[in-house]
Amino acid sequence: MKKPAKNGLEWTVFVASTIVVLAVLGYLAVKALTEKKTPPDLRVEAGAAIARDGSHRVPLLVRNVGGSTARSVVVEAVLRRGEEEVERAELELMFVPRRSEREGWVTFRHDPRCCTLVTRAVSYEEP
Amino acid sequence: MADRPAVPTVADSLREYGRGLAGGLIFSLPLLYTMEVWWAGFIAQPLRLFSYLLIIFLLLLGYNRYAGMRRDASWLEVAIDSVEELGLGVIASAATLFAIGRIGAHTTREEALGQILIEAGVVAIGFSVGTAQLGAGGEEDEGMGEPDEPVHFPGQLAITFCGAVLFAANVAPTEEILMIAVETGPGRLLLLALLSIAVSALILYFSDFARASRYSPIETKWQAFAGTMITYAVALAASGVILWFFGRFDGQAADVIVAEIVVLGFPAALGGSAGRLLLQP
Repeated sequence: MKKPAKNGLEWTVFVASTIVVLAVLGYLAVKALTEKKTPPDLRVEAGAAIARDGSHRVPLLVRNVGGSTARSVVVEAVLRRGEEEVERAELELMFVPRRSEREGWVTFRHDPRCCTLVTRAVSYEEP
Repeated sequence: MADRPAVPTVADSLREYGRGLAGGLIFSLPLLYTMEVWWAGFIAQPLRLFSYLLIIFLLLLGYNRYAGMRRDASWLEVAIDSVEELGLGVIASAATLFAIGRIGAHTTREEALGQILIEAGVVAIGFSVGTAQLGAGGEEDEGMGEPDEPVHFPGQLAITFCGAVLFAANVAPTEEILMIAVETGPGRLLLLALLSIAVSALILYFSDFARASRYSPIETKWQAFAGTMITYAVALAASGVILWFFGRFDGQAADVIVAEIVVLGFPAALGGSAGRLLLQP
Protein backbone atom coordinates (compact mmCIF):
# COMPACT_ATOMS: atom_id res chain seq x y z
CA MET A 1 0.00 0.00 0.00
CA LYS A 2 1.42 3.37 -0.92
CA LYS A 3 2.16 5.77 1.87
CA PRO A 4 -0.13 8.83 1.84
CA ALA A 5 1.72 12.02 0.95
CA LYS A 6 0.88 14.62 3.55
CA ASN A 7 2.49 17.69 5.01
CA GLY A 8 2.80 18.55 8.69
CA LEU A 9 -0.50 20.44 8.81
CA GLU A 10 -2.41 17.53 7.31
CA TRP A 11 -0.86 15.07 9.72
CA THR A 12 -1.75 17.35 12.62
CA VAL A 13 -5.35 17.60 11.47
CA PHE A 14 -5.49 13.85 11.00
CA VAL A 15 -4.09 13.07 14.44
CA ALA A 16 -6.41 15.62 16.10
CA SER A 17 -9.40 14.23 14.21
CA THR A 18 -8.52 10.67 15.14
CA ILE A 19 -8.35 11.65 18.79
CA VAL A 20 -11.72 13.45 18.62
CA VAL A 21 -13.45 10.61 16.77
CA LEU A 22 -12.03 7.83 18.95
CA ALA A 23 -12.78 9.75 22.14
CA VAL A 24 -16.38 10.27 21.09
CA LEU A 25 -16.91 6.68 19.94
CA GLY A 26 -15.25 5.36 23.07
CA TYR A 27 -17.38 7.54 25.33
CA LEU A 28 -20.57 6.48 23.56
CA ALA A 29 -19.60 2.81 23.60
CA VAL A 30 -18.92 2.91 27.34
CA LYS A 31 -22.22 4.72 27.94
CA ALA A 32 -24.12 2.28 25.72
CA LEU A 33 -22.65 -0.74 27.48
CA THR A 34 -22.76 0.42 31.07
CA GLU A 35 -25.96 2.42 31.29
CA LYS A 36 -29.39 0.91 31.16
CA LYS A 37 -32.12 2.90 29.46
CA THR A 38 -34.12 4.14 32.43
CA PRO A 39 -37.28 6.27 32.24
CA PRO A 40 -37.14 10.00 33.00
CA ASP A 41 -36.85 10.76 36.72
CA LEU A 42 -37.58 14.36 37.62
CA ARG A 43 -36.58 16.11 40.84
CA VAL A 44 -37.77 19.62 41.55
CA GLU A 45 -35.97 22.01 43.87
CA ALA A 46 -37.30 25.41 44.86
CA GLY A 47 -34.96 28.32 45.50
CA ALA A 48 -35.41 31.40 47.69
CA ALA A 49 -38.37 33.64 46.88
CA ILE A 50 -37.90 37.19 45.65
CA ALA A 51 -40.66 39.64 46.58
CA ARG A 52 -41.54 42.65 44.44
CA ASP A 53 -44.71 44.63 43.71
CA GLY A 54 -46.90 42.28 45.71
CA SER A 55 -45.82 39.14 43.92
CA HIS A 56 -43.35 36.53 45.05
CA ARG A 57 -41.17 34.83 42.47
CA VAL A 58 -39.74 31.42 43.24
CA PRO A 59 -37.08 29.80 41.02
CA LEU A 60 -37.63 26.11 40.33
CA LEU A 61 -34.77 23.89 39.25
CA VAL A 62 -36.04 20.76 37.47
CA ARG A 63 -33.42 18.04 37.28
CA ASN A 64 -33.82 14.85 35.26
CA VAL A 65 -31.71 12.13 36.87
CA GLY A 66 -33.19 9.40 34.66
CA GLY A 67 -31.69 7.93 31.50
CA SER A 68 -34.32 9.24 29.06
CA THR A 69 -35.41 12.69 28.02
CA ALA A 70 -38.72 14.02 29.33
CA ARG A 71 -40.92 16.11 27.06
CA SER A 72 -43.87 18.44 27.82
CA VAL A 73 -43.05 18.51 31.51
CA VAL A 74 -45.68 19.99 33.84
CA VAL A 75 -44.48 20.96 37.31
CA GLU A 76 -46.82 22.13 40.03
CA ALA A 77 -45.90 24.17 43.07
CA VAL A 78 -48.41 24.36 45.92
CA LEU A 79 -48.34 26.54 49.03
CA ARG A 80 -49.81 24.55 51.91
CA ARG A 81 -50.68 25.59 55.43
CA GLY A 82 -51.37 22.31 57.19
CA GLU A 83 -54.05 20.58 55.14
CA GLU A 84 -55.21 23.78 53.53
CA GLU A 85 -54.07 24.66 50.03
CA VAL A 86 -53.31 28.39 49.96
CA GLU A 87 -52.17 28.87 46.38
CA ARG A 88 -51.12 26.81 43.38
CA ALA A 89 -48.82 27.64 40.46
CA GLU A 90 -47.74 25.66 37.44
CA LEU A 91 -44.63 25.55 35.25
CA GLU A 92 -44.44 23.95 31.81
CA LEU A 93 -41.14 22.94 30.26
CA MET A 94 -40.79 21.71 26.69
CA PHE A 95 -37.88 19.37 27.37
CA VAL A 96 -35.71 18.22 30.22
CA PRO A 97 -32.99 16.08 28.58
CA ARG A 98 -31.63 13.05 30.42
CA ARG A 99 -29.18 13.89 33.21
CA SER A 100 -29.74 17.59 32.57
CA GLU A 101 -31.55 20.44 34.24
CA ARG A 102 -33.81 23.33 33.31
CA GLU A 103 -34.75 26.36 35.34
CA GLY A 104 -38.06 28.21 35.43
CA TRP A 105 -40.00 30.53 37.72
CA VAL A 106 -43.42 30.45 39.37
CA THR A 107 -45.05 33.43 41.04
CA PHE A 108 -47.39 33.56 44.05
CA ARG A 109 -49.57 36.32 45.45
CA HIS A 110 -48.97 35.02 48.96
CA ASP A 111 -45.62 35.18 50.63
CA PRO A 112 -44.26 31.59 50.46
CA ARG A 113 -42.87 32.03 53.98
CA CYS A 114 -46.44 31.71 55.29
CA CYS A 115 -46.59 28.05 54.35
CA THR A 116 -44.69 25.06 53.12
CA LEU A 117 -43.97 24.93 49.40
CA VAL A 118 -44.64 21.49 47.87
CA THR A 119 -43.32 20.90 44.36
CA ARG A 120 -43.62 17.93 42.08
CA ALA A 121 -43.48 16.99 38.39
CA VAL A 122 -47.09 16.18 37.55
CA SER A 123 -46.72 14.73 34.06
CA TYR A 124 -44.31 14.32 31.18
CA GLU A 125 -44.01 12.46 27.91
CA GLU A 126 -41.25 10.10 26.94
CA PRO A 127 -40.52 11.01 23.31
CA MET B 1 -3.39 11.54 -5.86
CA ALA B 2 -2.71 12.08 -9.52
CA ASP B 3 -3.85 15.69 -9.30
CA ARG B 4 -1.67 16.71 -6.43
CA PRO B 5 2.05 17.06 -6.07
CA ALA B 6 3.76 14.36 -4.03
CA VAL B 7 3.41 16.38 -0.82
CA PRO B 8 1.03 19.35 -1.01
CA THR B 9 2.13 22.71 0.36
CA VAL B 10 0.57 24.01 3.56
CA ALA B 11 -1.22 26.71 1.54
CA ASP B 12 -2.76 24.03 -0.70
CA SER B 13 -4.06 22.03 2.22
CA LEU B 14 -5.40 25.14 3.93
CA ARG B 15 -7.34 25.98 0.78
CA GLU B 16 -8.68 22.43 0.67
CA TYR B 17 -9.83 22.59 4.31
CA GLY B 18 -11.35 25.98 3.56
CA ARG B 19 -13.41 24.56 0.70
CA GLY B 20 -14.45 21.66 2.91
CA LEU B 21 -15.53 23.98 5.71
CA ALA B 22 -17.52 26.14 3.29
CA GLY B 23 -19.23 23.05 1.84
CA GLY B 24 -19.87 21.60 5.28
CA LEU B 25 -21.61 24.75 6.45
CA ILE B 26 -23.56 25.29 3.22
CA PHE B 27 -25.05 21.79 3.30
CA SER B 28 -25.64 21.56 7.03
CA LEU B 29 -26.81 25.03 8.00
CA PRO B 30 -30.50 24.26 7.44
CA LEU B 31 -30.09 21.41 9.95
CA LEU B 32 -27.97 23.42 12.37
CA TYR B 33 -30.89 25.88 12.52
CA THR B 34 -33.61 23.25 13.02
CA MET B 35 -34.85 22.63 16.55
CA GLU B 36 -36.10 19.11 15.84
CA VAL B 37 -32.48 18.17 15.13
CA TRP B 38 -31.30 19.56 18.47
CA TRP B 39 -34.06 17.56 20.15
CA ALA B 40 -33.07 14.42 18.30
CA GLY B 41 -29.56 15.05 19.64
CA PHE B 42 -30.49 14.93 23.30
CA ILE B 43 -33.25 12.34 22.92
CA ALA B 44 -31.04 9.78 21.15
CA GLN B 45 -29.57 7.09 23.40
CA PRO B 46 -25.78 6.48 23.28
CA LEU B 47 -26.16 3.29 21.22
CA ARG B 48 -28.16 5.10 18.54
CA LEU B 49 -25.62 7.93 18.37
CA PHE B 50 -22.86 5.36 18.08
CA SER B 51 -24.54 3.59 15.13
CA TYR B 52 -25.33 6.95 13.56
CA LEU B 53 -21.63 7.85 13.54
CA LEU B 54 -20.75 4.47 12.05
CA ILE B 55 -23.30 4.92 9.25
CA ILE B 56 -21.98 8.43 8.57
CA PHE B 57 -18.46 7.04 8.45
CA LEU B 58 -19.50 4.38 5.91
CA LEU B 59 -21.19 7.07 3.81
CA LEU B 60 -18.01 9.16 3.92
CA LEU B 61 -15.90 6.15 2.91
CA GLY B 62 -18.23 5.41 -0.01
CA TYR B 63 -18.44 8.99 -1.15
CA ASN B 64 -14.71 9.70 -0.82
CA ARG B 65 -13.85 6.50 -2.60
CA TYR B 66 -16.15 6.89 -5.58
CA ALA B 67 -16.72 10.61 -5.92
CA GLY B 68 -13.88 12.23 -4.03
CA MET B 69 -11.20 14.28 -5.70
CA ARG B 70 -8.69 11.48 -5.74
CA ARG B 71 -10.24 8.53 -7.44
CA ASP B 72 -7.01 6.61 -7.57
CA ALA B 73 -6.54 6.99 -3.84
CA SER B 74 -6.00 3.85 -1.80
CA TRP B 75 -8.53 2.77 0.84
CA LEU B 76 -6.05 3.90 3.49
CA GLU B 77 -6.05 7.44 2.14
CA VAL B 78 -9.83 7.38 1.81
CA ALA B 79 -10.13 6.26 5.44
CA ILE B 80 -7.73 9.00 6.58
CA ASP B 81 -9.77 11.63 4.70
CA SER B 82 -13.00 10.32 6.21
CA VAL B 83 -11.64 10.47 9.77
CA GLU B 84 -10.44 14.02 9.15
CA GLU B 85 -13.84 15.06 7.83
CA LEU B 86 -15.64 13.54 10.79
CA GLY B 87 -13.25 15.15 13.28
CA LEU B 88 -13.46 18.57 11.63
CA GLY B 89 -17.23 18.12 11.41
CA VAL B 90 -17.40 17.65 15.20
CA ILE B 91 -15.35 20.78 15.76
CA ALA B 92 -17.27 22.93 13.23
CA SER B 93 -20.61 21.74 14.59
CA ALA B 94 -19.59 22.44 18.20
CA ALA B 95 -18.42 25.94 17.25
CA THR B 96 -21.66 26.74 15.39
CA LEU B 97 -23.91 25.35 18.14
CA PHE B 98 -21.99 27.40 20.68
CA ALA B 99 -22.33 30.54 18.55
CA ILE B 100 -26.11 30.09 18.30
CA GLY B 101 -26.42 29.46 22.04
CA ARG B 102 -27.47 25.80 21.88
CA ILE B 103 -24.57 24.58 23.99
CA GLY B 104 -22.61 26.32 26.67
CA ALA B 105 -22.38 26.58 30.42
CA HIS B 106 -26.12 25.87 30.80
CA THR B 107 -26.03 22.47 29.07
CA THR B 108 -24.68 19.27 30.58
CA ARG B 109 -22.07 17.19 28.82
CA GLU B 110 -24.47 14.59 27.51
CA GLU B 111 -26.97 17.10 26.21
CA ALA B 112 -24.27 19.05 24.39
CA LEU B 113 -22.56 15.95 23.03
CA GLY B 114 -25.76 14.56 21.52
CA GLN B 115 -26.49 17.80 19.69
CA ILE B 116 -22.91 18.21 18.49
CA LEU B 117 -22.71 14.67 17.13
CA ILE B 118 -25.99 14.74 15.23
CA GLU B 119 -25.05 17.97 13.52
CA ALA B 120 -21.45 16.82 13.04
CA GLY B 121 -22.57 13.94 10.81
CA VAL B 122 -24.21 16.29 8.36
CA VAL B 123 -21.36 18.79 8.50
CA ALA B 124 -18.90 15.95 7.76
CA ILE B 125 -20.79 14.85 4.64
CA GLY B 126 -21.00 18.47 3.52
CA PHE B 127 -17.28 18.75 4.19
CA SER B 128 -16.58 15.82 1.94
CA VAL B 129 -18.84 17.08 -0.85
CA GLY B 130 -17.41 20.58 -0.51
CA THR B 131 -13.82 19.37 -0.79
CA ALA B 132 -14.63 17.34 -3.89
CA GLN B 133 -17.08 19.60 -5.66
CA LEU B 134 -16.05 23.15 -4.88
CA GLY B 135 -12.50 22.63 -6.05
CA ALA B 136 -10.72 24.40 -8.86
CA GLY B 137 -12.22 23.24 -12.15
CA GLY B 138 -8.90 22.57 -13.85
CA GLU B 139 -8.07 19.64 -11.60
CA GLU B 140 -11.11 17.70 -12.67
CA ASP B 141 -10.57 17.88 -16.40
CA GLU B 142 -8.56 14.72 -16.42
CA GLY B 143 -11.53 12.51 -15.65
CA MET B 144 -13.70 13.75 -18.48
CA GLY B 145 -11.64 12.44 -21.34
CA GLU B 146 -12.42 8.85 -20.47
CA PRO B 147 -16.13 8.24 -20.93
CA ASP B 148 -15.47 4.55 -21.33
CA GLU B 149 -14.43 4.33 -17.68
CA PRO B 150 -17.54 5.31 -15.70
CA VAL B 151 -17.68 4.83 -11.94
CA HIS B 152 -18.69 1.22 -11.47
CA PHE B 153 -21.96 -0.01 -10.06
CA PRO B 154 -21.31 -0.01 -6.27
CA GLY B 155 -19.82 3.44 -6.72
CA GLN B 156 -23.00 4.68 -8.38
CA LEU B 157 -25.04 3.21 -5.53
CA ALA B 158 -22.87 4.96 -2.94
CA ILE B 159 -23.16 8.31 -4.72
CA THR B 160 -26.92 7.94 -5.13
CA PHE B 161 -27.27 7.09 -1.43
CA CYS B 162 -25.19 10.13 -0.42
CA GLY B 163 -27.26 12.43 -2.61
CA ALA B 164 -30.49 11.05 -1.17
CA VAL B 165 -29.29 11.45 2.43
CA LEU B 166 -27.91 14.93 1.86
CA PHE B 167 -31.16 16.21 0.39
CA ALA B 168 -33.75 14.27 2.39
CA ALA B 169 -32.06 14.88 5.76
CA ASN B 170 -33.17 18.50 5.54
CA VAL B 171 -36.85 17.64 5.81
CA ALA B 172 -36.67 14.30 7.67
CA PRO B 173 -36.65 15.68 11.24
CA THR B 174 -39.68 17.96 10.71
CA GLU B 175 -43.18 17.15 11.94
CA GLU B 176 -44.50 17.55 8.42
CA ILE B 177 -43.30 14.11 7.34
CA LEU B 178 -45.38 12.41 10.02
CA MET B 179 -48.32 14.71 9.33
CA ILE B 180 -48.36 13.91 5.61
CA ALA B 181 -47.85 10.21 6.29
CA VAL B 182 -50.75 10.01 8.73
CA GLU B 183 -53.19 12.16 6.79
CA THR B 184 -52.61 10.83 3.29
CA GLY B 185 -54.60 7.88 1.99
CA PRO B 186 -53.07 4.85 0.27
CA GLY B 187 -54.18 6.01 -3.20
CA ARG B 188 -52.37 9.32 -2.89
CA LEU B 189 -49.29 7.60 -1.45
CA LEU B 190 -49.18 5.35 -4.49
CA LEU B 191 -49.43 8.47 -6.63
CA LEU B 192 -46.54 9.98 -4.66
CA ALA B 193 -44.43 6.86 -5.21
CA LEU B 194 -45.15 6.91 -8.96
CA LEU B 195 -44.36 10.61 -9.04
CA SER B 196 -41.02 9.95 -7.32
CA ILE B 197 -40.17 7.28 -9.88
CA ALA B 198 -41.21 9.53 -12.77
CA VAL B 199 -39.11 12.44 -11.52
CA SER B 200 -36.08 10.14 -11.06
CA ALA B 201 -36.46 8.93 -14.64
CA LEU B 202 -36.87 12.50 -15.83
CA ILE B 203 -33.68 13.63 -14.10
CA LEU B 204 -31.63 10.59 -14.99
CA TYR B 205 -32.62 9.92 -18.57
CA PHE B 206 -34.97 12.39 -20.20
CA SER B 207 -33.84 15.94 -19.53
CA ASP B 208 -30.09 15.78 -19.95
CA PHE B 209 -29.95 17.28 -16.45
CA ALA B 210 -26.37 18.39 -15.79
CA ARG B 211 -25.41 16.58 -19.01
CA ALA B 212 -26.81 13.35 -17.68
CA SER B 213 -25.89 11.34 -20.75
CA ARG B 214 -22.29 11.41 -19.57
CA TYR B 215 -23.02 9.34 -16.48
CA SER B 216 -26.18 7.46 -17.29
CA PRO B 217 -25.76 6.45 -20.92
CA ILE B 218 -29.07 5.11 -22.13
CA GLU B 219 -28.82 2.25 -24.52
CA THR B 220 -32.05 0.35 -24.12
CA LYS B 221 -35.41 1.13 -22.57
CA TRP B 222 -34.80 -1.77 -20.23
CA GLN B 223 -31.62 -0.12 -18.89
CA ALA B 224 -33.43 3.14 -18.24
CA PHE B 225 -36.18 1.24 -16.42
CA ALA B 226 -33.71 -0.74 -14.30
CA GLY B 227 -31.65 2.37 -13.53
CA THR B 228 -34.71 4.27 -12.37
CA MET B 229 -35.94 1.41 -10.20
CA ILE B 230 -32.54 0.98 -8.57
CA THR B 231 -32.35 4.71 -7.85
CA TYR B 232 -35.80 4.67 -6.26
CA ALA B 233 -34.93 1.59 -4.20
CA VAL B 234 -31.78 3.28 -2.90
CA ALA B 235 -33.84 6.41 -2.15
CA LEU B 236 -36.33 4.38 -0.11
CA ALA B 237 -33.50 2.73 1.81
CA ALA B 238 -31.94 6.13 2.56
CA SER B 239 -35.33 7.43 3.62
CA GLY B 240 -35.77 4.50 6.03
CA VAL B 241 -32.34 4.93 7.59
CA ILE B 242 -32.83 8.66 8.19
CA LEU B 243 -36.32 8.22 9.63
CA TRP B 244 -35.15 5.44 11.93
CA PHE B 245 -32.43 7.65 13.19
CA PHE B 246 -34.70 10.57 13.98
CA GLY B 247 -36.88 8.16 15.97
CA ARG B 248 -39.76 8.45 13.50
CA PHE B 249 -40.52 4.73 13.71
CA ASP B 250 -40.74 4.52 17.49
CA GLY B 251 -44.16 3.26 18.45
CA GLN B 252 -45.67 3.62 14.96
CA ALA B 253 -47.85 1.06 13.23
CA ALA B 254 -46.37 -0.72 10.20
CA ASP B 255 -48.55 1.13 7.69
CA VAL B 256 -47.56 4.53 9.13
CA ILE B 257 -43.91 3.51 8.85
CA VAL B 258 -44.35 2.54 5.20
CA ALA B 259 -46.22 5.79 4.55
CA GLU B 260 -43.42 7.82 6.15
CA ILE B 261 -40.81 6.05 4.03
CA VAL B 262 -42.78 6.81 0.86
CA VAL B 263 -43.34 10.44 1.88
CA LEU B 264 -39.64 11.01 2.55
CA GLY B 265 -38.86 8.84 -0.48
CA PHE B 266 -39.86 11.68 -2.78
CA PRO B 267 -37.16 14.15 -1.65
CA ALA B 268 -34.76 11.21 -1.33
CA ALA B 269 -35.43 10.16 -4.94
CA LEU B 270 -34.91 13.75 -6.10
CA GLY B 271 -31.67 14.03 -4.13
CA GLY B 272 -30.50 10.56 -5.17
CA SER B 273 -30.98 10.99 -8.89
CA ALA B 274 -29.72 14.56 -8.97
CA GLY B 275 -26.85 13.60 -6.67
CA ARG B 276 -25.85 10.80 -9.00
CA LEU B 277 -25.31 13.41 -11.69
CA LEU B 278 -24.07 16.37 -9.63
CA LEU B 279 -21.81 14.61 -7.13
CA GLN B 280 -19.82 12.82 -9.78
CA PRO B 281 -16.06 13.19 -9.75
